[in-house]
Amino acid sequence: MRYIKWTLILTILTLVVSVLHYTLPQTDIVRVVATDTRRIDFGENQFFWATPDVGTGAGINRDVKFIEAVRPNGRVIVYRNEDTGWGWPPYFKLNSFNLQAEASNLISTQAAPRWVAVKHYGWRNEFFTIFPNAISLREVEGPDVRIVPWVNLVVIATLIFLVFMVWKMLAQFRERVIDPAADRVTQTLDDIDSRRRSLRQRIADWLGTWRGKPRR
Amino acid sequence: MIPLVRLAVFGFIALSVIYVLVSIYSRSVRRERLEKQWDAAQGPGDRAAFIAAGMEAYNKGLRRRLLWLVYIIPTAVVSALVYLLNFH
Repeated sequence: MRYIKWTLILTILTLVVSVLHYTLPQTDIVRVVATDTRRIDFGENQFFWATPDVGTGAGINRDVKFIEAVRPNGRVIVYRNEDTGWGWPPYFKLNSFNLQAEASNLISTQAAPRWVAVKHYGWRNEFFTIFPNAISLREVEGPDVRIVPWVNLVVIATLIFLVFMVWKMLAQFRERVIDPAADRVTQTLDDIDSRRRSLRQRIADWLGTWRGKPRR
Repeated sequence: MIPLVRLAVFGFIALSVIYVLVSIYSRSVRRERLEKQWDAAQGPGDRAAFIAAGMEAYNKGLRRRLLWLVYIIPTAVVSALVYLLNFH
């Protein structure tokens, strides 16, 4: 039983952490090397792509904007650049075309690098062909700039506060509604029980009168 | 524009559910505090009347009006995000 409980807890914890890790913003410092647009036919990886750009229609495929970049250690990373619109995750990103222009403007060569902090969410995974979605770009001094994840801190603090409030509300509900109701039910059952016992007693007494015992 | 309308409608429904739950919770906490206050001091006056007066004050008070923040804060945050992430 203990193993089942811990498996369940670990599964739920893994799910929550994965969702947060996918959805919360992260910032990479990279050098943008190219921007382009490719048509994507969505397959089993459809779940990891956002919606069509705000105001445009949905088809079975569409053109997706990409930003190609190189990390300071020389490894490459490719971002997609899609509107999230009014859906999930709640970045309310409507400006993917503008962001693409900004990215093109920040292209630099290895000889004269311009370092860009790319805020993004999502994962790069070669097995499913999925890409992180770039949210915003800003030029920074160099590859070693320290970035404090304020958004993540605020969001996680808010989530902890909400969980705490839900717990408090449930405790209050239990104390003020469920426990008194349970007490009333127990009381009623006790009453019925004692009444039934006295009924049985009375029948026994009545039977007793046939055997000449006086009623109590 | 349809997705925006959908977000507004479902957001309003979700926030209304939260508003009702939070207002029930807040009222319950206030009533419990009044009960404990009266039980500790055994007064003033009649217990039911004391609690009724306290709840009346709560209904007119600032704390109850602050519950509207349940609607105001998320709307303000979403508006700020749309501005900051797209037009700033």
